[in-house]
Amino acid sequence: MDGIHDLGGKEGFGPIPIDPTDEPFPNEWEGRMWGLAREQAVPGMTIDYFRHGLERMVPKDYLSFPYFGKWCANYYMLYLQTGVFTEEEILTGKTTRDPNAAPVAKTKDDIIAQNRASAVDFSLPIDDAPLHKVGDNVTTRAHMAARHTRLPAYARNATGRIIAHHGAHVMPDRNVEGHHVGEHLYTVEFAARDLFGESAAAKDTVTLDLWESYFV
Amino acid sequence: MTQDSEDAARLHRNIHSHLPSDPALRVKTLESLMVERGLVAPESIDAWVEAYSEEIGPKRGASVVARAWVDPEFRSRLEADASEAIKDLGVDGNATAHLKALFNTPTQHHLVVCTLCSCYPWSILGMSPAWYKSAEYRARSVREPRKVLAEFGTDLPDDIAVTVWDSTAELRYLVIPERPAGTDEWSEDQLAAIVTRNAMIGTERDLVAEAS
Repeated sequence: MDGIHDLGGKEGFGPIPIDPTDEPFPNEWEGRMWGLAREQAVPGMTIDYFRHGLERMVPKDYLSFPYFGKWCANYYMLYLQTGVFTEEEILTGKTTRDPNAAPVAKTKDDIIAQNRASAVDFSLPIDDAPLHKVGDNVTTRAHMAARHTRLPAYARNATGRIIAHHGAHVMPDRNVEGHHVGEHLYTVEFAARDLFGESAAAKDTVTLDLWESYFV
Repeated sequence: MTQDSEDAARLHRNIHSHLPSDPALRVKTLESLMVERGLVAPESIDAWVEAYSEEIGPKRGASVVARAWVDPEFRSRLEADASEAIKDLGVDGNATAHLKALFNTPTQHHLVVCTLCSCYPWSILGMSPAWYKSAEYRARSVREPRKVLAEFGTDLPDDIAVTVWDSTAELRYLVIPERPAGTDEWSEDQLAAIVTRNAMIGTERDLVAEAS
């Protein structure tokens, strides 16, 4: 969808808000939200549906909320949608239902091990041979009908060159619809001028990782 | 789970209308509910915060860069398959299953962004900085990377090409800056100490060879 999240190349934004203090979690609640997200309990959650949930936020909230504020709104949505919590529970902050078994209190060492074990392999081999190879020119689609897509607006209807083929990876546009299927994934390099015109430097390039069905 | 996009939007509108907007309050309520329901122990949240405040941070990526500088065999493996190579250093994990190392050269500079959300190689760089997740960085870095770099104090001459890597799939990117001159005799640990997080994202370019 052409949502508010698709920010690449949008004009009108000011200076990058560089924070010289640079702490991992400038506010305590941000650290809590990070932990709550890593320990999430949304049944059947996928990374793609999580991202799509963020895309369906109220647009002005999307632009004005801090990063982990967006995550919090999205987890409320996901827990409501899957029936883990009711609207009444979220409004009152109280749950009347019995708890599950007492959860394990993890230590920092447990978390470091869990973090290390959490590298998710998104490759999903398929029988279909790739339609393209490194060195081929490809043109991206002008319009995307999918609810969720990883082809940003700024890179549509543009021609670039394939610089890498990664085999087939889980296809996000279909995964959010509940179809866990693989599709060939490529890294495509575009001349910056082909995306943004003469204001871009002649030598500069932009690369994106794009699935085969993103090409015409 | 129910993959209903319109329902998701409706629920988000309800949340917008009925909940206080203060994120600290919202997160506190979410934690209370999850704890009351027995879905998580508060100690586990403490542990995540500690892990990402102390051990899982940019020093992990810096150790990868320093190793690449001193060990040509490691550098080749990093170039061929970064996800595998970083396992030597035990820094693989969250968001590094499809990692690619981007090597800066005297004529080529790399810059990493995620315009559609804020994808980041957490296990090797730790928590992403707020600016990386800002609308400003996401919007501007693909269209005007040289202006963005200048705001970080990185002024690039025209003869250095910039490639911006938009993390649109599950590949994650780590920029390997050039080793500064005058560091030939340095140990791997000394080298790692001068590698900054921003250099591994690409918003900085020239590292400073000042022994600590």
